[in-house]
Amino acid sequence: MRRCALLLAFVSAALAAPGPAGWVPVRWPWSDAASLELLATTPVNCLLLRDLTPEFAAAAAERGVSVLAIIPPTPDAVAATRKAVAAKAAGIVLEGDFPDAVVAAIRDAAAALPVIQIGPRSRLKPGASPISATNQGVWPGIGAPDENARRAGPTSSNAWIDTNTGFLRGAHAAGATILWIANEPPPKTAVTLEGYQHAIADAAMSGARWVVAFDADLAARLAKRDARAVTQWRRMADFLVYFEQHPEWRDMHEFGQLAVVQDPARGVLLSGGILDMIAVKHAPVRPIASPQLSAEKLAGATLAVNVDQDALTPDQKEILRAFASAGNTLLNVPPAPVDQSRVDRVTLDKSELERTNAIWTDVNNMIGRRNLGVRLFNVASVLSNALESADGKTLIIHLVNYADYPVQNVTVHFLGDFKRAVLLGPENSIKKLDIYPTDDSHGVDVDQVGACATIRLEK
Amino acid sequence: MTRREWIALISSAPLLSAAEPDAPAAPVSIAKCASYDEDVTAQLNAMFDQLGGIEKLVRNKTVTIKVNMTGSPSQRVGGRAPAVTHYTHPKLLGAAAHLFGRAGAKRVRFVESSWATAGPLEDTMLDSGWNVRSLQSAFSAVEFENTNAIGKGKKYARFRVPGSAYMYPAYDLNHSYEDTDVYVSMAKLKNHDTCGITLSCKNVFGTIPASIYGDDAGVEEPNEKPGAGRMRVGHQGIRQPAKSAPQELHFGVNHDAGYRVPHIVADLVAARPIHLAIIDGVETIAGGEGPWIRNVRPVKPGVLIAGLNPVCTDAVAAAVMGYNPRAERGVAPFEKCDNILRLAEAHGVGTTDLKRIDVRGLSLERALYRFSA
Repeated sequence: MRRCALLLAFVSAALAAPGPAGWVPVRWPWSDAASLELLATTPVNCLLLRDLTPEFAAAAAERGVSVLAIIPPTPDAVAATRKAVAAKAAGIVLEGDFPDAVVAAIRDAAAALPVIQIGPRSRLKPGASPISATNQGVWPGIGAPDENARRAGPTSSNAWIDTNTGFLRGAHAAGATILWIANEPPPKTAVTLEGYQHAIADAAMSGARWVVAFDADLAARLAKRDARAVTQWRRMADFLVYFEQHPEWRDMHEFGQLAVVQDPARGVLLSGGILDMIAVKHAPVRPIASPQLSAEKLAGATLAVNVDQDALTPDQKEILRAFASAGNTLLNVPPAPVDQSRVDRVTLDKSELERTNAIWTDVNNMIGRRNLGVRLFNVASVLSNALESADGKTLIIHLVNYADYPVQNVTVHFLGDFKRAVLLGPENSIKKLDIYPTDDSHGVDVDQVGACATIRLEK
Repeated sequence: MTRREWIALISSAPLLSAAEPDAPAAPVSIAKCASYDEDVTAQLNAMFDQLGGIEKLVRNKTVTIKVNMTGSPSQRVGGRAPAVTHYTHPKLLGAAAHLFGRAGAKRVRFVESSWATAGPLEDTMLDSGWNVRSLQSAFSAVEFENTNAIGKGKKYARFRVPGSAYMYPAYDLNHSYEDTDVYVSMAKLKNHDTCGITLSCKNVFGTIPASIYGDDAGVEEPNEKPGAGRMRVGHQGIRQPAKSAPQELHFGVNHDAGYRVPHIVADLVAARPIHLAIIDGVETIAGGEGPWIRNVRPVKPGVLIAGLNPVCTDAVAAAVMGYNPRAERGVAPFEKCDNILRLAEAHGVGTTDLKRIDVRGLSLERALYRFSA
């Protein structure tokens, strides 16, 4: 019943032909119209194809699905664009590293069609176009423990979680409104259902969309309509449905008392940086792009980490001084230049990581075990994001569990006078949570988190 | 070899290698408990009755229970909750607190030196997926203390090793180990990579605070914000503890963890006597003490073991695991280490002679669960 109701809602939405902001994208490895039946009961309304035919575009349009032609950076890119326009593509996707002149020529050839650049992170200009996109990402999941960690015995460090959330949140803070991350599954890998769910949720909890891409094995089995493959795809789609059901979450802002001020040009666009390190600490953090630093952006924060002193104007430095003078804690860390200009870079290199680790040590000492808005317990395999509505009456806490097994008995302590709490999830119905007082705040207990869940608190 | 033959063999072992004839003996109770879903409180209560009752031990007393929460709570064996692998299970903690309260205890204090932090023990418990509120409600006066640093005390308590100490003349511990009338070691039935077995004696290695004995302990004074383990002082002997504490007697002579850790543990159980040993063998792991050891495997021996002497209790527990509690170094489970139990026995803590130990409840034969694959 729930699936039917959602289906109706999304069919209606699809027929309304949403613009790029409402596109739910998938890399589509097929160009036969029959493949479109796989979209039934999913919210997918945007397909990215390399070999677009007029027939396929027409069939998709009948279903209210927008088809975008993927143009690679080849010498005939402009000609390929014209061909895509003739085939009635709804938009053009430039995938790869294109010279500016070629982009301009393609925009001319595309006429009024939207042109989306899915290129290296280093070329990303957050907010410069309606959709900011990259095809570079880490594959979300728990990093395997290395031999050194095993030798260290009980003193070894916690598992690292590979995530794009730091990059995505940093890009949002820098101005990206609609953000796509279009990395593909690792080569020669049959990704598990959980792996796909993590990829969807890793992006979605940060307000972005992962451009769904099937690994070769799943694509082949879906082409044959293998029942297990179709079931897997439907369960992946449940995650897409879940986040698309809640467009209001994209309008919420980060909650918490810790602000990180960082220059988008100096490391924000690489994964494994300070935001990802804080994420593993489970402290709620508000990324602020240094060009946008203002007293308003710092409102409600009690701790601020200034990662790039050199990037601030005198006025902005004064804002931080005033912040500290008001009794708040400011951590100015030494400049640690990060070269994110190389097109093949996705993560920090070893020396950058070492410098960031030094920053992290100071940040970690500053945070300690304080409750900076939300504190989570028993969440070693989980990353979270706490978002607050504009009126401050609703707080949501996304929990994404990167393990391939559910995590049980999660405890959440939160600041704020919230009266009602519920647990939502893509694979479970809404469940009321009991709020109880704690020493410094209030808390709720969550029995189990599968791949993803959301706590919604209301005043 | 049948179960009966095995037990007969290990019971006769002291004839081959003489036990300390004067080491005290005390009864040990074994109970079947196949699952934590069973009535753990009733099982434990029956075991206490078999030991002669606990009222005279705990009435109007402060009872401190050292639990086993080794390593970071984020480290898991195959994603399982730590309580069903390498931590003592919170249901056992709750049951013990309830029974001690019912027997008239003044307060029950749970203690452990949480890995690499001086933060509240409750936080570590929450990070382990434990319901702290439920533990608090087990009895009206339940407290928690992380003993990895000075904690809620004003100074460290010094415990001298009686007689001839093996490693250190005395140990500086958190005040909780002194400010108590009754000291309980609540351990897990499991192997240990360095010491062969982790039972109620080995459990007390976790009492030494990382603030003094940790890798990042202060040189002169304790570091009250420890962020590391105790490898360099305890296992490797490549640095001394903070100078505020008694120093190692023969520093630099021995760096073999298989020698050092058992000797330190034997010193500790002699210096700070344990009044009651409780061992959780319901669900646990074999092959090592935690997820950082390769090839540990979850096992379900389905037993609880308790006794009034830690060496006697551990001797019985070792036998339950299929080991000779008096085995020499080189023989399983002590292939690469000295035998903690024999070292503690030599300190006069308790006997390892199974023939002198009165096993009550479930027989050794019926409780036998071989840990070696």
